[in-house]
Amino acid sequence: MFRNNYDNDAVTFSPQGRIFQVEYAQEAVKQGSVVVGLVNKTHAVLVGLKRNAEELSSYQKKIIEVDSHMGIAIAGLASDARVLSNFMKQQSLSSRMTYGRPLPVDRIVSQIGDRAQTNTQHYGKRPYGVGLLVAGVDEAGPHLFEFQPSGMTHEMLACAIGARSQMARTYLERNLDKLQDTTRDELITHGLQALKETLSQDKELTVDNTSVGVVGLAAEGAKGRIESFKLYEGQLLVPLLEALERSEEGETKEESMEVDS
Amino acid sequence: MTSIGTGYDLSNSVFSPDGRNFQVEYAVKAVENGGTAIGIRCKDGVVLAVEKIITSKLLKPGANKRTATVDRHIGIVSAGLVPDGRHFVSRARDEASSWRSVYKGPIPVSALSNRLGSYVQAYTLYSSVRPFGVTAIVGGWDSEAELAVDGQVGSGPESGSGGKIQGAKTGGPGLYMIEPSGLYWGYYGAATGKGRQAAKAELEKLDLNSGNLSLLEGVKEAARIIYVAHEDSKDKDFELEMTWISSLDGPTKGRHEEVPKGLLEEAERAAKRALEGEDEEEDATKGDANDSERMEE
Amino acid sequence: MNHFPEAWGRPRDDIYGPYNPSYLQTTGPKTHTQSPAVTGTSVVAVKFNGGVAIAADNLASYGSLARFTDVKRLRKFGESAVIGFSGDVSDMQHIDRLLESIDIRENYSTHGNTMNAKNLHTYLSKVLYKRRSEFNPLWNHILVAGFDENKKPFLSSADLLGTTFSAPHLATGFGAHLAVPILRRLFPDEESIETASKEQAVAALRECLKVLWYRDARSLDKYSIAVISEAGIEIEEDQQIEAQSWAFAEAIKGYGAQVN
Repeated sequence: MFRNNYDNDAVTFSPQGRIFQVEYAQEAVKQGSVVVGLVNKTHAVLVGLKRNAEELSSYQKKIIEVDSHMGIAIAGLASDARVLSNFMKQQSLSSRMTYGRPLPVDRIVSQIGDRAQTNTQHYGKRPYGVGLLVAGVDEAGPHLFEFQPSGMTHEMLACAIGARSQMARTYLERNLDKLQDTTRDELITHGLQALKETLSQDKELTVDNTSVGVVGLAAEGAKGRIESFKLYEGQLLVPLLEALERSEEGETKEESMEVDS
Repeated sequence: MTSIGTGYDLSNSVFSPDGRNFQVEYAVKAVENGGTAIGIRCKDGVVLAVEKIITSKLLKPGANKRTATVDRHIGIVSAGLVPDGRHFVSRARDEASSWRSVYKGPIPVSALSNRLGSYVQAYTLYSSVRPFGVTAIVGGWDSEAELAVDGQVGSGPESGSGGKIQGAKTGGPGLYMIEPSGLYWGYYGAATGKGRQAAKAELEKLDLNSGNLSLLEGVKEAARIIYVAHEDSKDKDFELEMTWISSLDGPTKGRHEEVPKGLLEEAERAAKRALEGEDEEEDATKGDANDSERMEE
Repeated sequence: MNHFPEAWGRPRDDIYGPYNPSYLQTTGPKTHTQSPAVTGTSVVAVKFNGGVAIAADNLASYGSLARFTDVKRLRKFGESAVIGFSGDVSDMQHIDRLLESIDIRENYSTHGNTMNAKNLHTYLSKVLYKRRSEFNPLWNHILVAGFDENKKPFLSSADLLGTTFSAPHLATGFGAHLAVPILRRLFPDEESIETASKEQAVAALRECLKVLWYRDARSLDKYSIAVISEAGIEIEEDQQIEAQSWAFAEAIKGYGAQVN
């Protein structure tokens, strides 16, 4: 079922200057379950929807801690993500070893970008089949980056990738102005809300299928400058999901009041 | 392109019967879809500017730089596939650093462009790789001062044997553009990307080869040209990104830096005014004020 | 004539005996630089309230010969770190190149992440340790002055073995014996460092350099001094030791007219 002659490998341009193999790799990202990332002035949050292959199997990990100041959320081929996250972990450790400093987020992101680009220019390699959201904090504050199989990386205020992620993006775009001035906990709630928008009718966010990662600047008066990356899974999620429920209730009330007036 | 589909365009490094390498031509197509990038070689510096199309509201404003610093005195801006542009810059940085380790001094802009031209050309030679999907503009300032001897111990003689040649003139601005084929030329004004035709037309009006345009005027002109080049894709928002390299006694002291925010905004305002003026001349009845306001976002 | 052209033109074996190539053999270990050649002497530094002051004279000696008299042994890195080098000058120049390439790399992007003096010291100590582990040491003892990630004054040393040591006042070379006791007397505890003014610190270093000029035969009366504070780096490279008094020399055997 070849669509055309120009999509057999990543080293052939189409007459329009496109590289189909790379575009197909981007499709692999859309097959993965959705992950959402967002930042405000103090924190960067990752939220992911985990899938299990069957009722009795465990859920696929969606959020990985890279270092105490950085984590990633993945959509697409998990094994490709493991290669990239291992590389990121090594680079992070090496920076701490050599310079005694946490690796600046933009630098590690361009490094994986460069790696991915190499795979799109040489025969016998294939593009990575995974998209990443990288959340981290450094001297310049909290950051969120999107990484694509093409090697394209963007610094974002908010982002969602994976299956049905358009719904989440729409939510984020609609609430973009609010996000900047949220508190840490409100930011998480917005992330969960965005994630929820992508769910089909019969699905819900549960402690089993949800994953949340948070990293940011430490609160005033706390020890150290940064709040280390923390992964919320299982029972740890209960308060976060409850906060989501509460905010939804609040919202419906607000809306109904608006209707009244 | 008549030979499309005859099979000669399926692999890099293959000539068609009429002597063309189609894969390189297709790579150029990728460039022609990218945001407009320009460079202007002024008498006391070089300006680089790029039109950055905003593809999503969720992008962080002002981040995601498209101009890169290669060495202290050289910058690169490119149009085409962004990841290929990053690869290109990374190679440029390696070349600049290896030059330093061999010659103990900064690489001249011409030498860097030459090496990058060779590197890009090598990606047209083999079927195992594809050509670069970028056209890159390399701008820099070769120091006009005498280079410090590496690891200089003491000051050396003031004159005489091993001393200085009085009044020798060296250095100056350099601007080169490297295409996917590996071809490169030196330029007074270079433009590539989607709006290159409009940009070139504007650059030609500047009479750059007389060498009278100052760097500050160049900044204003570069902003205006990017705004002119954007006219054809008005429906999309964009950010203007500009960097510059001045002479040693100029504002950047021979270094490649971002144009300061204040000056950038001033140049953008002037560019918008110039556009509005043109519109009025062309069609007094049609007010385009709304469009230029939208660009501010 | 035989069929081994490579042997043609060589002394005949039957007259001169077989060629003895033993001198070409390299038995024994591979050797690297086992001693420095052109060297700089002491570097002295002290912290004060709000910064660090560091000083070194402008001399590079070739053995006991005062070979180069305007050598800059204090090197700036970025906007808030200074490295002072003692030991081999060519190795200093090598490290200087490393620092230059780091500085260029650090400035590729304007991301707001800067390398501070502490990061720099960690890096340099790793370089020195790696080289000594290859039995090819960089023959230097360095002091790194600046600020740490919490914007606190930072001062630390690293030597040719990769040993690191940190204290509120540090000195390398002869200074470790002659300057440190002076600095310890002037600033005996943490509190005195925390309350010391920039002027006090600078005056203390000038005093130390004067004593070194009196007593270290590899020192010079021309020196450089740098002050790193929140305002940035002030560096002066053409200082002259002033108000000398050699009267004490009269009391020492071997000086002046006194013979025994």
